[in-house]
Amino acid sequence: MRDLVYFAHLLLGMALVALPFVIRSLLEKKSALAKPVSIATAALSWIMLLPSGILYTVFYPATKTVVKAGSWPWAHSIVMETKEHWGLLLPVIVTLAAILVLQNKGKESRKWWLLAAVLALLIGVLGRIVKMGAGA
Amino acid sequence: MKFNAYAGMIASSWLLAAMVVASELAPSFKQALASAFSHHWIGKGVLTALAFVIIGFAFASNAGKIAGKRQEDAAWWSALGSLVVIIAFFVFEFVS
Repeated sequence: MRDLVYFAHLLLGMALVALPFVIRSLLEKKSALAKPVSIATAALSWIMLLPSGILYTVFYPATKTVVKAGSWPWAHSIVMETKEHWGLLLPVIVTLAAILVLQNKGKESRKWWLLAAVLALLIGVLGRIVKMGAGA
Repeated sequence: MKFNAYAGMIASSWLLAAMVVASELAPSFKQALASAFSHHWIGKGVLTALAFVIIGFAFASNAGKIAGKRQEDAAWWSALGSLVVIIAFFVFEFVS
């Protein structure tokens, strides 16, 4: 169960790093696919909260104990705390970008897609640091 | 259907930052979120999403400036500001 949720979390996270660049490219080419792909990406960003929530509320408490008792307690106190809350703003940012595309404001949406991709990548890096803090 | 995503973004960003700080400084607030939503993180997520939707619709016809800034810029700096406040708060809390 944990592995399944973890891989879903990982795959969706990687998709949220890549898809904004795909959408920026589609907007550049004025492709009709930009709108449906934007909607799908916004949907994925909310779906992502499901594995994130399961991992955080069900499985992370045990990891947290290990991290806080280890040599990198900041990996929880700073890194995980930041990651879990940045993750709540990510779907809002992606949704805003998608709405701009739907409102034919593709040019205005470009920097928001970039922010979404950078934030998704940073969240992934923070997750890796937490794992290292747990001795993984 | 009109929706002001910038207004929603501004509201969500600052509400999330405020809830993060408040829930760490006031354990009773964190407990209240946990009681209402089964976990404080879920509570923050639900309220952040609700703020985006409610404020986005409430200000759907308002394209004016916010604090002297274009809404697009206010939303951008609100999002970045919220992210910075969140990490800065946890760094400060850890080192202090």
